[in-house]
Amino acid sequence: MENMIEVKDLRKEFKSHSSRSGLKGAFRDLFTRQYKVVPAVNDISFTVKQGEMVGYIGENGAGKSTSIKMLTGILTPTSGIVRVNGMDPHKEREQFVRSIGVVFGQRSQLWWDIAVQESFRLLKKVYNVPDAEYKRHMNHVIESLDIAPLLDKPVRKLSLGQRMRCELAAALLHNPPLLFLDEPTIGLDVLVKLKIREFLKEMNEKYNTTVLLTTHDLSDIEALCERVVMLDEGKIIYDGQLDSLRSNWGEGKQIEFQFADTEVDKRALQPLLAEFDGVWTQGDRENVWIANVLNEEQVISEVIGRVVAAHKITDLKVHEISIEDIIRNIYEEGVTNG
Amino acid sequence: MKYVALFFQYAAQYMKTRLTYRTDMIVEIGSDLMSQAVNFVFILLVFGHTTMISGWSRDEIIFIYGFFLVPFAIFGAFFNIWDFNERYIVKGEMDRILTRPIHSLFQIVLERMELESLFGVLTGTAVMIYAGSRLDLTFAWYDPFMMVLLVLGGTLVYASIFVLIASISFWSDSPTSIMPMMYNIGNYGRYPVNIYNSIIRFVLTWILPFAFVGVYPAAYFLGREEWYTYAFLTPVIGLVFFLLSIFMWNVGVTKYRGAGN
Repeated sequence: MENMIEVKDLRKEFKSHSSRSGLKGAFRDLFTRQYKVVPAVNDISFTVKQGEMVGYIGENGAGKSTSIKMLTGILTPTSGIVRVNGMDPHKEREQFVRSIGVVFGQRSQLWWDIAVQESFRLLKKVYNVPDAEYKRHMNHVIESLDIAPLLDKPVRKLSLGQRMRCELAAALLHNPPLLFLDEPTIGLDVLVKLKIREFLKEMNEKYNTTVLLTTHDLSDIEALCERVVMLDEGKIIYDGQLDSLRSNWGEGKQIEFQFADTEVDKRALQPLLAEFDGVWTQGDRENVWIANVLNEEQVISEVIGRVVAAHKITDLKVHEISIEDIIRNIYEEGVTNG
Repeated sequence: MKYVALFFQYAAQYMKTRLTYRTDMIVEIGSDLMSQAVNFVFILLVFGHTTMISGWSRDEIIFIYGFFLVPFAIFGAFFNIWDFNERYIVKGEMDRILTRPIHSLFQIVLERMELESLFGVLTGTAVMIYAGSRLDLTFAWYDPFMMVLLVLGGTLVYASIFVLIASISFWSDSPTSIMPMMYNIGNYGRYPVNIYNSIIRFVLTWILPFAFVGVYPAAYFLGREEWYTYAFLTPVIGLVFFLLSIFMWNVGVTKYRGAGN
């Protein structure tokens, strides 16, 4: 299969000037400025194949937006190679952007004051979409996103969920083979989220559209993407299947105990997990401790038995480790045990 | 060709949006016409007491002023980029612009057009007709074409200076007060340049060539042959500066840093 996105040693540095403190410092800044070069994206490499749906995740400031902006031709890389759909996004910008659709959740593509269909009409001219193709493709999009009743309303009168669906339709108006979605479901209710996910899946199946998705809502990723690329401090710390993320780091179970006895602390509990290679972490409420152990019948029942024998408890829960926890663990501890 | 078609699409959309707010539009057109009329009367009053300045008669100065209003109005209608830094760089609207397959500056021109400004063309023409009739100017058959050419040249001069300044925002996104200052300097072009000292004259001719928006091209219609060289340079200067400004803009776009989300 063909590579849709090829990124090699991609780097983006920002020069920021650090101001000195106080009035004296401000005067000195006038003459000699101190610059700090900060790499927002630090030599990353990855490829995305045609038709893949990839989740692109990372904390705020991890370099997600910066790298997406380089992939979409908005920013010029400091160094490295980017080929998207066979083109250099920044050098051949005007030609290149015809082959991508972009949704930035916090920024509107539509004209605020005019009816949605007028926005579509202008975009159709901007992208030079022939009438026949527009009709065939957009009728389907409008139907699947259920936005027909919204078309004659001005964008400013739409709710966030309605607007987001229209944004998505606008981004797909020229039927691009590649779609960038930056926080497409931010602030949306569950029903709209489900509708958008369903729609993206459908587009992917029907047109083999490649999708690169960033989101803070990991349930989006779980619902749509088989593969995740995880960034931290401008570097890729994980690139692989979502499933193997779970099986590598999420094999364990969490057993949550609420103790009746307030004296319990980590030192007293640690010996109970002695030969099981488990870790205690403090829960979010008082007197709640969580044992992180391997997902094996014998271990789980043995741990519960020992704890209950040694201390009085008022509550007990067993959880599977969620993707969110796995990712938090990876960020906190690094990819060491992988 | 595609850009021309696109321009009319946007202009049509602009009119349509205006028409949906009917009362708004009537009030606005009314106030626009009124302010143009006030402008006209103001010019007559200001120049009413002057007789000759540095070899220019009162009516000649009024004619120059009238000519200036025409390129200035066209500039105002299509190059509303005085808030470019604020609107497109700081707020990050440039991100959206850069994801569309049209030249970024052209998109901004399309988005920010304000066709009401074109009423200034009427005022300018009225002022020129008034002053011209008092001066008994005669026009040859090709003068209307010269008018179009020189007005376009002047508009390009004005536009390119502002595009150049807007391009600075790509390198430094800190707010600057250069834009309002430039509007002030632009006004110097309305008066004959030989009333200024030679340094200012040099600046207004070659550095910030606002003189090519008013006095130089107008001198052609006033039959002031000593200024003809400059008058004919107008389209050249306009084109050169415009190409320079587009070049700087394109370099600037590669330096765009984007706004954080």
